[in-house]
Amino acid sequence: MNILLIDNDDSFTRNLEHLLAASVPGATIEVTPYARLKDADLETRELLVISPGPGAPSEYLGYDRVFSAEKPILGVCLGMQIINERFGGRTGRLHGCVHGKTDTLFMDGAERVVARYHSLHVTEPGAGLNVLAANRDGIIMCLGSRTQRVIGCQFHPESFLSRDGGWFIDFALDYLGLR
Amino acid sequence: MTSLSTISVSASRKRFDRFGSELARTQGADMLLSTDGFPARTESLVGVEPVAELIFTDKTTPDDAKAFCFGTPGLSFGFISYDYGMLLRGVVSAKKHGGPLGHLRKYAATIEFDNGAARIQARSASLARDLAAALERTPNADPATAMPAFPETPPAASLDRAGYEAGVRETLERILSGHTYQLNLSTRFSRRCPGLDPLALLLALRRRHPAPFYAWFSSGPKRILSTSPERFLRVSDGQILSQPIKGTARLEGDRTVAENLLKDSDKESAELSMIVDLIRNDISANSEYGSVRVENHKSVFAVDNLLQMYSDVRGTLRPDRDCLDLFFDAFPGGSITGCPKKRSMEIIEELEPHTRNVYCGAMAVIRDRRNMDSSIAIRTAIFDVETELLDFFAGSGIVVDSDPAREYLETLAKAEKFLSPEKT
Repeated sequence: MNILLIDNDDSFTRNLEHLLAASVPGATIEVTPYARLKDADLETRELLVISPGPGAPSEYLGYDRVFSAEKPILGVCLGMQIINERFGGRTGRLHGCVHGKTDTLFMDGAERVVARYHSLHVTEPGAGLNVLAANRDGIIMCLGSRTQRVIGCQFHPESFLSRDGGWFIDFALDYLGLR
Repeated sequence: MTSLSTISVSASRKRFDRFGSELARTQGADMLLSTDGFPARTESLVGVEPVAELIFTDKTTPDDAKAFCFGTPGLSFGFISYDYGMLLRGVVSAKKHGGPLGHLRKYAATIEFDNGAARIQARSASLARDLAAALERTPNADPATAMPAFPETPPAASLDRAGYEAGVRETLERILSGHTYQLNLSTRFSRRCPGLDPLALLLALRRRHPAPFYAWFSSGPKRILSTSPERFLRVSDGQILSQPIKGTARLEGDRTVAENLLKDSDKESAELSMIVDLIRNDISANSEYGSVRVENHKSVFAVDNLLQMYSDVRGTLRPDRDCLDLFFDAFPGGSITGCPKKRSMEIIEELEPHTRNVYCGAMAVIRDRRNMDSSIAIRTAIFDVETELLDFFAGSGIVVDSDPAREYLETLAKAEKFLSPEKT
């Protein structure tokens, strides 16, 4: 699978690259910085991945061509929030923020221990996006659309704190119709 | 290329330390002095008679460093400044740099020590023999370590208590707005110390506060006194090890109780976990897929009257990369920037009035393409023999539940051995 991973100047992007390499046998993964996104080849890709990163979706205005490329999109943390705002959703400050801590979600038929790093969260899901998981406080942890072929997670499957992050990559590929 | 003459002799650590200290005193040798019993223990090193040097400017590229280190035989030793790391990461600064951005040397002879054996490598057989003979004549006794007297005048701080606490509060706001998860904020203390013998100070500190990465390096009028407990990156035949430290507690009362309190603290654990994820990321760019792993998460050791928590992050260097690719891609070390790294460094640049210089850079020994070791240059001072100013620095990792007053006290605790060395 030919994957383009767009790096929003984040410090977890390479972890995500290694997780994708481990979870998608035979994948080729190219990492491109957000600053060079306008020159990136999107046509030959089978999956576009939007990395985590600092700040809010409104600071990242260069994603138009990613959403116009008609390719399946996976977003992590900020990446999920960017997808959500694309569909008209909203982002706000998370009371108390959570950084470097685990949470337990019930998702895809099982309890999942996942790592959280976020100051912001989805306060209102975008039109047509389904909430696929929320934590016990109701914070949205995963959302997506099968028909639009987008999925995002607020948690960090690539963190060493997440138990079996590869599970989520499998789940996302199924959801996006890539398996 | 010429080859080097090598002689190995057995020696006690005491004798080696004394030998190195005498060479530093009489011949201006540079040193890296380790100590047993620490997770970051490394080979000690003395370098004598520099034969080549690379002084980093803003024009120096990682390729220049590679050509210097790998182009001729023999190891390279020196420092790479945090300020050079800012250039690498594209963080813009209008501040004036004090001195070179890095300084590496090659030597006519190096003496490395580990596990009771000293290995002398020299550009001539006679120099190797002379050093071996001099080492064997050296008394098997600690170097003289009287603590030099310090002036009564208190040091000036770049961020005093009020300034530091205001910096912590601003950092908390940046965390809430999602621009950083964790940020290392430092302050610089400057003190005029007329007549100070900086080598004596370093040796006396080492006697009282042993740590695995003590280093002594001369760069122009500057003497670097590094007393770091922290490893940045080691590469041994392509096997990568980083040992980030996060989480600090005073070592007082029952050690087991204090250790458990530290390990059970959600705040300190989260600080370490974030940096572990950051280091995983930073070594991953040059590691084989599937090789990056975390071991001994939340281990604890004691140094400088403090308990420190750390983890081992390991990987395997890709066959098409060398240890300097890894080093420069991962530099500066995540434990002294914050996460995400680039944005955190930009905020640090905004909030800190001083330049960090060597502090938070690295002391590094580069042996060949797949072998090196390096520290994070924390607990580090710079003495300028011309101005007689002693600059030392200390910082603390700020996370969302940090308390400004407590973080200031933590920086003071880390600066203590340079603030009032005679009392510690």
